[in-house]
Amino acid sequence: MKIYVFKRLLLLIPLLLGITLLTFSLTNALPGDPALSLVGERAQPEVIEKIRKELGSDKNIIVQYAGYLRLLLKGELGRSYYTNRKVFDDIVIKFPNTIKLALGAILIAVPIGLLLGFISAYKRNTYIDRLISSLSITGLSLPVFWSGLLIMLLLSLKLKLFPPSGTGDLRFLVMPALTLSLPAIATLARVTRTSVIEIFDMPFINTARAKGLPVMKINFVHVFKNALIPLVTVIGLDFGSYLNGAVLTETIFGWDGIGRFTMEGIIKRDYPVIMGCIMVGTVVFVLINLVMDIVYHYIDPRVRLHDSDR
Amino acid sequence: MIRGKKHLRFTVSSFHHFLSFIVTCYLLLIFTSCSSSNRLDGYVYYRLNTNPTTLDPALVVDVTGGFISAKLFNGLVKLREDLSIAPDIASKWEISKDGLTYRFELKHGVKFSNNREVKAYDFKYSFKRILDPKTRSPNTWVLEKIAGAREFMNGTAPDVSGIKVIDDYTLEIRLNEPFSPFLNLLTMIAAYVVPEEECKRWGADFSSHPVGTGPFVLKQWLPNRELVLDARKDYFGGTPKLKGMIYRIIPEDLTTITEFELGNLDIITIPASAFSRFKKDPEWNQLIASLRGINTYYLGLNCSKKPFNNILLRRAMNYAIDREKMLRTVYEGRGRIAAGPLPDVLRKWPSPPSYRYDPEKARELIKTAGFSDGFEVDFYITADQEVVDIAEVIQAYLREIGIKVKLKQLEWSAYKEAINKGEPDMFWLSWWADYPDPENFLFPLFHSSNLGAGGNRARYSNPEVDSLIEAGQHARTIKERDMYYEKVEKVIVDDAPWVFFWHRTDFTLRQPWIKNYKIHPIYSMDKGMEIGF
Repeated sequence: MKIYVFKRLLLLIPLLLGITLLTFSLTNALPGDPALSLVGERAQPEVIEKIRKELGSDKNIIVQYAGYLRLLLKGELGRSYYTNRKVFDDIVIKFPNTIKLALGAILIAVPIGLLLGFISAYKRNTYIDRLISSLSITGLSLPVFWSGLLIMLLLSLKLKLFPPSGTGDLRFLVMPALTLSLPAIATLARVTRTSVIEIFDMPFINTARAKGLPVMKINFVHVFKNALIPLVTVIGLDFGSYLNGAVLTETIFGWDGIGRFTMEGIIKRDYPVIMGCIMVGTVVFVLINLVMDIVYHYIDPRVRLHDSDR
Repeated sequence: MIRGKKHLRFTVSSFHHFLSFIVTCYLLLIFTSCSSSNRLDGYVYYRLNTNPTTLDPALVVDVTGGFISAKLFNGLVKLREDLSIAPDIASKWEISKDGLTYRFELKHGVKFSNNREVKAYDFKYSFKRILDPKTRSPNTWVLEKIAGAREFMNGTAPDVSGIKVIDDYTLEIRLNEPFSPFLNLLTMIAAYVVPEEECKRWGADFSSHPVGTGPFVLKQWLPNRELVLDARKDYFGGTPKLKGMIYRIIPEDLTTITEFELGNLDIITIPASAFSRFKKDPEWNQLIASLRGINTYYLGLNCSKKPFNNILLRRAMNYAIDREKMLRTVYEGRGRIAAGPLPDVLRKWPSPPSYRYDPEKARELIKTAGFSDGFEVDFYITADQEVVDIAEVIQAYLREIGIKVKLKQLEWSAYKEAINKGEPDMFWLSWWADYPDPENFLFPLFHSSNLGAGGNRARYSNPEVDSLIEAGQHARTIKERDMYYEKVEKVIVDDAPWVFFWHRTDFTLRQPWIKNYKIHPIYSMDKGMEIGF
């Protein structure tokens, strides 16, 4: 197991190298020039030239890329062209907020999604099932910027329960987390329904019933455990994408996360910020995948790692 | 079998853990929520729609950064309410007869927030810092009229010969040639004084640890969240009436309005989308303040290539669009019609004869120009919804007179690059005053030495205009200067390198408990000294 984890982590290095190369060439291929955005509305061409030189953006792209790699080897992510702040320091501030938001969303989405899915499956083909199904389709198709504003109007302006925007403790977290969780609740409910129905029809459930096991035990142990496998995939993927930032939700609720930071970097052609965020995002995704694989190992004997992998 | 059992127990217990964890989380959530706002007493709350990029006067180019820098720093001189020049750190100044040498006497006892007194040397250091290529300042143009500045910037001279420290409280600045708005330049953020020891101590991080002479100090800056400024008790210009100011960074307009309605913000600039709503509301209507902004919105016509290198077509464009109707409808009356490039606020003479909506005349001009079959142009715009709306109306007006307009929407930095290079036939842009002087709307925008990124994006070039602008820059008296500017404005309007649209008026909304609120025509004028509860 340890060796397996180590191997997977080792794979991160070539992966990151590939990602840096890809993002570096893509951002450089974009139209727009950081030096131009930096100088404002009035600048002599020689000033722009000087700033390009200072930023190093006048050099050949391969030289620039090599320079960036050297920086990475030193364990740095560089400084933002605009704020002159260290990208790493900013990510250290913003990433915990993103984790908070992602955790909040998952904590709301998982129990509600599972519950709705279970109910749907039990009441299969009744009006309750249909109601939940149509609700989850609505949840999936609602755009975040709309549902977010609606939630804000209701919970904040009308009911005065939560502050409309800001980054901070749980009070600030509820509304963005709720907004972000809506599509996830919908997906989870649908996936749960399908997999629970599938398991109901399995022979081992009949056996369990025939054995006279209590209904709760059948539901929680046999059904739940087996339904968990596809759910872990969905939860993991959702969580991974939340950790890479939720630009719209963060913008509406003024949440200071990685998504807004990346977006601003892209708009301003702030290359060090873009690169830094994507690097961190990649690492996070790889780690989440790894954790998911390990979780599979525990919940599903069929995909249990072989001795040769350990 | 045994293994399976173990596994089963693991799942059940972990499920229980999971369940209790979730329940705890929800309980926590309920207990910690449901509290009212947590405002600090004595602080005024403002909204910023974006994080200021920097607070270092040498590097500030954005309005947001400038707005806050102005509260942390001071310059030699500042602007009065009527836009004339007033002493700031300098107590008085003398200008030599030839208009080349400026001698400033400094006030005694002006202190940086690190408690050190400001001396003449600090200004020399601050100005040199801007000009030093290592600083990477985009604002070198503010000071490059000083003798020896160019040589210092190019590295051919170790010092700026034109800045002399006579004694601790006397500073002398010599220019290369007379430049009438020079004192105006010195009111800008870039000419603020900074302490050498703090700049050296923080290096690139001075931006987030600014130390200046201003009435406020930066207490905390959480990027993308908020900035907290605390009032100083030992500010040389008096004591602010507030304990401090808090700038909350809220990107979304609707969120801002919600925050304002809940009383979490004290003053907001009214977003365009909510303007008519607040204006119609009798309660809020009295709390709206308006400001005639020093800016010009224009449709730039690329004079350097076909078809708009033809003056007749450019004039035709000015006749073809009903700007007054657009201002009333699309723009909801949030501005004043522009007669020429200069904002009405800065024009001390009668407005130049302007163009009125006359599609017949436009068609005639197009015919005379030999384009009776019409023609096609590329119109570059940004993705801003307001701009898109305006562009579509312009497109419709031009279709009426046989011009087919192809809209090209670009993301901001790509847009800027394209118009700097002179790619489009027409583009939509605005110019906001750096300092309130007509020169700021003439030299960068119409002088042929500033083609492209320098400001002259219509690529307009007329030797007569060049020499008139220069004559105005070198003029000794205001009367003489105004004469040149009046003349040059007439020529520019006649040559029509732009369609002159309007000057935007901004509207702010405040809470009833805010007292002595004033809205200033130039953001750097607001030091936050009057406002209180």
